[in-house]
Amino acid sequence: MTPVQALDFIRVLPEIVLASCAILVMVAEPFVSARHTAALAWVSLIGIVAAGAGNAWMRRFSGPAFGGSIAADPFASYFVYLLLLAAALTLLGSVRYLETNQVHHGEFYALLLLGTTGACLMVAATELIMIFIGLEISSISTYILAGFRRADKRSNEACLKYFLLGSFATAFLLYGIAFIYGLTGTTNLVQLSEKLSAPGARPPLLWIALILAFVGLGFKVSTVPFHIWTPDVYQGAPAPVTAFLSVAPKAAAFAVILRVFLGGLASAGALVFWLLWISALLTMCLGNLAALWQTNIKRLLAYSAIAHAGYVLVGMAAAKAAGPEAGEGIASVLFYLAAYALMNVAAFILVAHLAGAGERYQEADDCTGLAYQRPGVAACLTLLLVSLSGFPATAGFFAKFYVFRAAIHAHLIGLTLVAVLNSVVAVYYYLRVVVAMYMREGNPRASASPLPWPLGAALALSLVGIFYLGLFPTPFVRLANLAASPLP
Amino acid sequence: MAFLRHIWLIPLLPALGALTQLLAGRRLSNRAVSIVSVGLPGLAFLWALGCFAELLKLAAPTYLTNLYTWLPAGPFRLANGSLAQLNVPVGFQLDPLSAVMLLIVTGVGFVIHVYSIGYMGHEGGYYRFFGYMNLFLFSMLILVLADNYLMMFAGWEGVGLCSYFLIGFYFQRKSAADAGKKAFIVNRIGDAGFLLGVMLITVTFGTLNFQQITEAARSGQFALGNGTLTAICVLLFVGATGKSAQIPLYVWLPDAMEGPTPVSALIHAATMVTAGVYMVARSNALFVLAPKAMLLVAAIGAATALWAASIGLVQNDIKRVLAYSTVSQLGYMFLACGVGAFAAGIFHVMTHAFFKALLFLGAGSVIHALGGEQDMRKMGGLRRKIPITFATFVVGTLAISGIPGFAGFFSKDEILWQAFSSPYGHRLLWFIGWATAGLTAFYMFRLLFMTFAGESRVDAEVAHHLHESPWTMLGPLVVLAVLSVVGGYINWPTERFGHFLEPVFESPFRAAGVQLYGRNDELGLMVLSVAVALAGLGYAWLIYVKRPGLRERLAEPPGILHQILLNKYYVDELYDALFVNRAKNLGNLLAAFDLAVVDGGVNAAGWLTRTSGDLSRFWDKWVIDGLVNVLGFGIKVLSYPVRVIQTGVVQTYAFFIALGVAIFLGYYLVHFRP
Amino acid sequence: MVILFYIAAIVAILAALGVVLQKTPVYSALLLIVVLCSLAVIYLLLGAEFIAFIQVIVYAGAIMVLFVLVIMLLNARRETPGQGSRMARWLGGPLLVVFLAEIVLAAWRQFPGAASPPPLNAGPAAIGQLLFRSYVLPFEVTSILILVAILGAVVLAKKS
Repeated sequence: MTPVQALDFIRVLPEIVLASCAILVMVAEPFVSARHTAALAWVSLIGIVAAGAGNAWMRRFSGPAFGGSIAADPFASYFVYLLLLAAALTLLGSVRYLETNQVHHGEFYALLLLGTTGACLMVAATELIMIFIGLEISSISTYILAGFRRADKRSNEACLKYFLLGSFATAFLLYGIAFIYGLTGTTNLVQLSEKLSAPGARPPLLWIALILAFVGLGFKVSTVPFHIWTPDVYQGAPAPVTAFLSVAPKAAAFAVILRVFLGGLASAGALVFWLLWISALLTMCLGNLAALWQTNIKRLLAYSAIAHAGYVLVGMAAAKAAGPEAGEGIASVLFYLAAYALMNVAAFILVAHLAGAGERYQEADDCTGLAYQRPGVAACLTLLLVSLSGFPATAGFFAKFYVFRAAIHAHLIGLTLVAVLNSVVAVYYYLRVVVAMYMREGNPRASASPLPWPLGAALALSLVGIFYLGLFPTPFVRLANLAASPLP
Repeated sequence: MAFLRHIWLIPLLPALGALTQLLAGRRLSNRAVSIVSVGLPGLAFLWALGCFAELLKLAAPTYLTNLYTWLPAGPFRLANGSLAQLNVPVGFQLDPLSAVMLLIVTGVGFVIHVYSIGYMGHEGGYYRFFGYMNLFLFSMLILVLADNYLMMFAGWEGVGLCSYFLIGFYFQRKSAADAGKKAFIVNRIGDAGFLLGVMLITVTFGTLNFQQITEAARSGQFALGNGTLTAICVLLFVGATGKSAQIPLYVWLPDAMEGPTPVSALIHAATMVTAGVYMVARSNALFVLAPKAMLLVAAIGAATALWAASIGLVQNDIKRVLAYSTVSQLGYMFLACGVGAFAAGIFHVMTHAFFKALLFLGAGSVIHALGGEQDMRKMGGLRRKIPITFATFVVGTLAISGIPGFAGFFSKDEILWQAFSSPYGHRLLWFIGWATAGLTAFYMFRLLFMTFAGESRVDAEVAHHLHESPWTMLGPLVVLAVLSVVGGYINWPTERFGHFLEPVFESPFRAAGVQLYGRNDELGLMVLSVAVALAGLGYAWLIYVKRPGLRERLAEPPGILHQILLNKYYVDELYDALFVNRAKNLGNLLAAFDLAVVDGGVNAAGWLTRTSGDLSRFWDKWVIDGLVNVLGFGIKVLSYPVRVIQTGVVQTYAFFIALGVAIFLGYYLVHFRP
Repeated sequence: MVILFYIAAIVAILAALGVVLQKTPVYSALLLIVVLCSLAVIYLLLGAEFIAFIQVIVYAGAIMVLFVLVIMLLNARRETPGQGSRMARWLGGPLLVVFLAEIVLAAWRQFPGAASPPPLNAGPAAIGQLLFRSYVLPFEVTSILILVAILGAVVLAKKS
C-alpha cells in the first residue's frame, strides 16, 4: 500500500475544484445581500467551468488513485463532462427562477455543486464504499434541493417523500454491499471481479447481494418497480431541481451500474442480463403507458424520464447479451445519456420558466396558444419535445437508433420490438403539448414573459447540442466508444 | 456539373424559407412572405432542372454524393454471422427514379405555392402556412433524394409531421383537429412497420444504402421467395399503406381534406401520398425477390382502387370525391408495382400529380368563388361564371377518366395492360382495374356536371359574390392543365419514359414469363378501357344532365330486387311492346328498354354504392373507431394498476419497493437454482 | 460463545422491533441504545474490541444522548396513529417474512453447513491503516457528506 501522492490528488481534480467552489459559495453567502445572490451563481458557474478544465487537463494523468478507490479513466472523464454540463445548464436555468420565486438562498448553488461533486465521485469510483458515499452526497443534496421552495406544500412533500424512500432504497444498497464484503472480503471492483472469476466461487448469496445493490441504484435511475417516487417528486420539486434530479444522479447511477454490473461482475452474466432485461421491459412500458394520460407537463416529463431510463436499460441489456462485443451497447448507452441530458435539462428549465411564479401553470392546457404569443419559446419547447420523442435529425432519434441497433445486434429482437412500439406510442403524448401550443386558440396562462438571457443561453446551448448530435454524431460516437473502452 | 455538385441546395432552399417564416414570419408583410416562400421553392425547381439536364449527360445516369457520415457504427455481426461495417451518410442519390420525383415535387410544389398566394391571401396565419409548406417541401426532398433508408425515414417522418400540422391548420374547427389526430395515429401504425422493415434490412444486409442493397439483392445470394426478404417487403409495404392511404389504413386521407385546399393538392394528392409508391419502387430489387409480397401489393392496390372508387360515387362534398379518387388512383399505382410494372407506377405518379393537383386547385378555385361552399348540391351552372376554372377542370376530368389523348389515359392504360399481361399479373386484377376505370369516369363526370352544368343551385347570397379567381390562382391551373394534356406523350409513341427508368428497375430476377399477349391484345384492351370510360361518362351525362330526375331514385331505399319484382320483371311492358301494340309505336319499346335496362342499372349502381358506402362506414365506425376505442380502453385498463399504485402515500410506495425486491429475489431463487 | 452470541442477537432483534413499534419517541430512542449495545457485544465476540468500544462510546453514548435531548426539546409525545397505508399495514408484515425467508434460503444454499467467521484483525492499528491508507479517500470524502447534511439542516431550518 503506497502512501498518498500528489498524483492521487490530481486524479480527483474536478471533484476538488467543485467542492472547494461549493465551500467558497457557502462561506460567502452570509456576506452577500439577498438581492445579489445571483453573483454566487456566476461564481459557481466559474467553478463548474474550472472543474471541466481540470477534467480536460487531467486526461494526461489517467490511472487509479487512492489505492484503487477511484479511477481517472476516459469513462469517468466522459461522465464528469456530462454531469458538469447538466449542472451548468441547471444553474443557468435557475438564476432567474430563484428570483421570481423569491428564493434568496445562496446555499442553492452550494448544494448544486456538492450534489454534482457526489455524482462525479460516483462515476469515478471503483470501490463500493466510495460509490456509496458519492451516492449519499448527491442524494442528500438533492433531497434538500427538492424541498427548496419551503413555502410550497408540494415542494415539502416532494422533499420528505424523496428523503424517506431514498433512505429506504439506499439501505438496500448498503445491505447488498455489506453482503458482498462479507462474502468476498473486498469492496474493490477489480479485486471483486478477480475473486468472482476464480473457480469455485459459490454464488447464491452473492447474487442476492447484487440484486439488493441493484435496488439502490435502480431507485436512482427510477426503474420499475423502484420508480414509484419519481412522478410525485419530479412534480413537486422546484422545476430546475427536477431538471438536475432527472439527469445528474440518474446518469451517475447508470455509470455505476455499468461499472459494477458490466465491468466488475462478468461471471454473473445470466443474472445481470435477466435483471437488466426485465427492468428495461417494465420501465419502458410503464413509463410510456402512464405518460399517455398525463396532463401536467412536469408529471408527463417525469414519466417520460422513466421511459427513457427503460431505453437506456435496453442498451445495457444489449451490452450484457453481446458478451465480449459489449462495446457497442455500452457506447450506445453513453451516447443516449448525453442526448438525454441535453434534452431533459433544457425541457425542465424551460417548463420552470413557463410555470411562472409559484409554479402555478404546469398543465399542458396552460400553454394553449403560446405559439402566437411567444413563437420562439414555443418553437424551443417543440424542438425539445420532438427530440425527446426521437424524431430524426435530432439527438433523440440517433440515441434511440443507436441503442436499438445494439439490441438487434445482440439478438434481443423481442425487446427491440417492444422498444420500437413504445417509442412510436410515446410521440403521442409529447405532441399533446405541441398541439396545445400551436393548434388551439386562446391566451396562454403560462408565463409569456420573454426568456431571461441565462435561460436563453442554456436553451441555445442545448439546442445546438441536440442538433449537433442529431446531424453530426460521428465525433461524439467516437468519444463514446473511447469512453466505453475501459470497461471490458 | 455545377448543379449536381451542389444538389444539397435543393432541399436547403425551402428549408431556409421555412426557417425564415417560422422565426421571423410574424414581422414580415404578406408580400415579403410570398417572395421568400414562393421564390425559394422556385429556385429549387430551377436547380432541379439544372441537375436533371446534367444527369442526362452522364454516361451512367446515377449521381451519388456524400456530405458526411451521419451514423458511423463500426463493425457488427450480421444475422448470417458475417461481419459488416455500417456507415450511414447524409448522402444524395440522383438517378432516373429520384430525378422524376424531384421534378414532380419541386415543379408541382412550386406551382401550388404560387396558387397559395391567391388562395391563402385572406386567411390568418399566412406566414405560418407558408412556413409549414416550405418545411414540407424540405422533408419531401430529403425523402426523395436520400440515398439510404434511414434518411428516407427522416424525410418520411418530416412530411408526416408537416401533414399533421397542415391538416389541423384551421385549428378552430374541431373536425380539423380530429382529422389531424386521425392522420397522425393511422400513420404511426404504418411508420412502425417501416421502421421495423428498416431494422430488418440492417441486420440482413449490413447496410442501408439503396445502391448496395440493390446490388446485394441482384447478386443472387438470396433465393426467390426468401422468407426474410418477404418479411422486409411486407413490413415496408405496411409503411406504404399508411402514408399512401391503402386498405386498411386509407381512412385518414378523406378526413385530411379538412386542411386548406392547396395542402390537399400538394400533400394529399401530388406528392406525400405517393411516397409509399416511391418507396416500394425504390425497393424494387427486394420486391421482385418476394413474389408473395408482390401479390399482396397488387391485391391491396386493386382492392383499394375499386373500393375507394365505389365510395366516390355517392359523395357530395367536392373535396371528398377527389380524396376518394386519390385513394383509388394510388391503388392503381400499387397495382402497377405489384405486377412488377414499377415504371408504369411511377409514370402514373407523375401524370396523377399533374391532373390531381389540377383538380384540387380547380376545386379550390370553385370553393373560393363560392365563399367556402364545398357541397356540390349547392353548386351547378358555374361554367359561365368561372369559365377558366371550368375549362381547366374539364381537362383534368378528361385526364383522370382515361379519355384518349390526355395524360391519364397513357399511364392508366399502361398499368391495365401490365396487370393483364405481366407474369405477375392476373386477369382478375385487370378486370378490377378496368371496372374501376368505368367508375372513375362516372364519378368524375358526375362531379363535373353537378358543379358546372345544369341549373344553378347556388344560394342567392353567395351567387351575388360569385367571381373568378385571381391570376395567381388561374395561372397554376393553366400550367397544370397543359401538363395534364402533354404529360402523357413523354411515354408515347416511343416508350421514352420507361426506357429512362429502366436502369433502376431492370433485374435479373424478373420472372421471365412467356409473352402470351402481343400488341394486338393491347390494342383490344385499350378499346375496352376507353369504352368503359366513355360508358361511365355517358352514364353520368344521362343521369345528371339529360334526365336529372333519375338522380332522385338513386337515393331511394328499394333495392334492385324490389324494383324488379315491383315491375314483375318488366315482362308486361316487354310483351306489350313486342306483341300487343307493336304498331302503336316503337317509342314504347324504347321506353320499356329504358325502364328495364337504364333504371335497373341505376338501381344496381345505387345499391352497389349504398352497400359499399355502408361497408365503408361500418369499417370506419366499428373497425377503425373501434380500434381507437379499444386502444384507449386498453390503455385505461393497463394504466389501472399504475394509478392504484400511485396513491401518493409514502408507506404504500415503500411497500411496493419492498415488494419489488422480494419478487426479484424470489424469481432469482426459483429460476437460478444451482 | 455461541450462547452469548444468540442472546445478544435475539436481544438486538427484539429491541430493534421495539424501536419501530414503540409509539413514544423516548422509548424508541432508549431501545435503540439497547440495540447498539447488543451489537457491541457481537463485535466483542468477533474479536473487534476497538469497534465495540467505539460503538458504545460514540453511538450509545454521544449520539443517542443527542437524540434523547432533541426529543425532549421538541416535547414529542406519543404518536397518534395516522391513516397511513392500509396495504402497507396489512401486507407489510407478511412481506417482511417473505423477504427474510428469501435471504435465509440464499444463505442456506451458500453455506449448507455451519460456517465459521474468518479471523479478524481489528485492532486500532489495523483500523488506522485501513482508514488512512486503503480507504483514505472515502474517509475524507465523508466530511463532504457531513457538510452537505449540515448545510441542508441549516437551509431547511432557516427563517426566510
